[in-house]
Amino acid sequence: MNEIEEKLWNYIDGNGTSEERRTIDMLIATDEVYKRKYNELLQLNAEFANMELDEPSMAFTYNVMETIRTENALKPLKAAINTRIIWGIGAFFIVTISALLVFVLSGINWNAGHGNSSLDLNLQVPHIENYMNGTVLKVFILFDIVLALFIGDGYLRKKLNSKQAQ
Amino acid sequence: MQSKFTDTELIARSIAGNQAAYADLIRRHQRYVFTLALRFAKNREDAEEIAQDCFVKAYRALSSFNGESKFSTWLYSIVYTTAMTHLRKKRVNTTSIDDEGTFIQLESQSAGLENNSAEQRSRSYYLNQAIEQLLPDDAMIITLFYKGEQSLEEIAQTMGLEANTVKVKLFRARQRLKERLERTLKHEVNELI
Repeated sequence: MNEIEEKLWNYIDGNGTSEERRTIDMLIATDEVYKRKYNELLQLNAEFANMELDEPSMAFTYNVMETIRTENALKPLKAAINTRIIWGIGAFFIVTISALLVFVLSGINWNAGHGNSSLDLNLQVPHIENYMNGTVLKVFILFDIVLALFIGDGYLRKKLNSKQAQ
Repeated sequence: MQSKFTDTELIARSIAGNQAAYADLIRRHQRYVFTLALRFAKNREDAEEIAQDCFVKAYRALSSFNGESKFSTWLYSIVYTTAMTHLRKKRVNTTSIDDEGTFIQLESQSAGLENNSAEQRSRSYYLNQAIEQLLPDDAMIITLFYKGEQSLEEIAQTMGLEANTVKVKLFRARQRLKERLERTLKHEVNELI
C-alpha cells in the first residue's frame, strides 16, 4: 500500500516523467484501489495546503525594530571610539614628541667645541620647571581625566555587552 | 497593510537605511517565520523570541544576501539554524510520533479532547495537533512545502539536507499525519455513534 501511496504522492506533487504520469493516470481511471487512494490523498493534500499560519503578537514588528534601533544607536558610539578619538590621541602624542624633539635639538650648541679634538657638545639641558606653570598642569590634568573617563566608559560598555549576551 | 514593493526592493531600501522598509519586510514574512519557530519551540513565548531573533539576525546580515535564492529561502535557513540553537540551548524535550511511547501519550490526549468545544473539533484543529507531534524537522518540511511555497530543492538548501532526503522525510511526515488524522477522526465518529 505504501508503494501505491508513494507513487500517488509523487503524482500529486507533479514529479515523475510524463510516461510515469500517464501510467498513474491510467491506473486511477481503471483501478478502484488507486482511484480511492488518489481521492483520499488529494483531499489530505488540500487540507495540508489550507492549514492556517500562526500569528505572532501585535507588537512583534515593533519589538524587532526596537531591538534593531537599540543596536544601531550603539554602533556610531563604537565607531567614534575606534577612529576619531584613537586617532586624536595618537596625533596628540606625535605632536608632543615632535615638539619636544625640535625643542631639544634647537637647544644644542652645534658650534661648540670646533677645532677641539675632544667631543664637547655643550648640551644645554632645558629647565623643565620653567614650563610647568599652573595652566600647563591644568591642561595636563584635564587631559588625564578625559582619558580616564574614556577608558572607564569603554570598560563599562564591554562589561554591559557581555552581560546582555549571556 | 502590505507593501507594494517586492522583497528585493524592500531589501535595497533597508540596506540604504530605510527602517520602514525593513518593517514592511517583517510584516510580510512574520507569520511564516513565527509558524516555523512554533514547530520547534512548542510554546508561543519561545517561538516569538526565536522569530524576533531571526529578523534581527537577518537585518544584520542583509547586505550579505546576494539574491541567488529567494529571500524567503534565505530567511528560513536563518530560522532553522536559530531554532536548532534554541533547541540545544533550552534542551527542550521534544516528543515524536515515531516513538512508541508517544502513541500512548497521544491516546490520552485524544481522550482529553472530549472536553473541547465543537468549534475546536475541526479537521484543521486536529491537523495542527498532529503536526505538533511530529519531529521538528518533519513539521518544518511540511510547513515549508505547503505554506512557505518552497520546492524540495529549496527546502534542502534551507535545512542543509539532500533533496532526496527531504522527499523521503516529506513522504514519511504525510503518512504520519494521515494515520494520526484517521485515528483521531475515527475516535470522533465512534463517539458520535
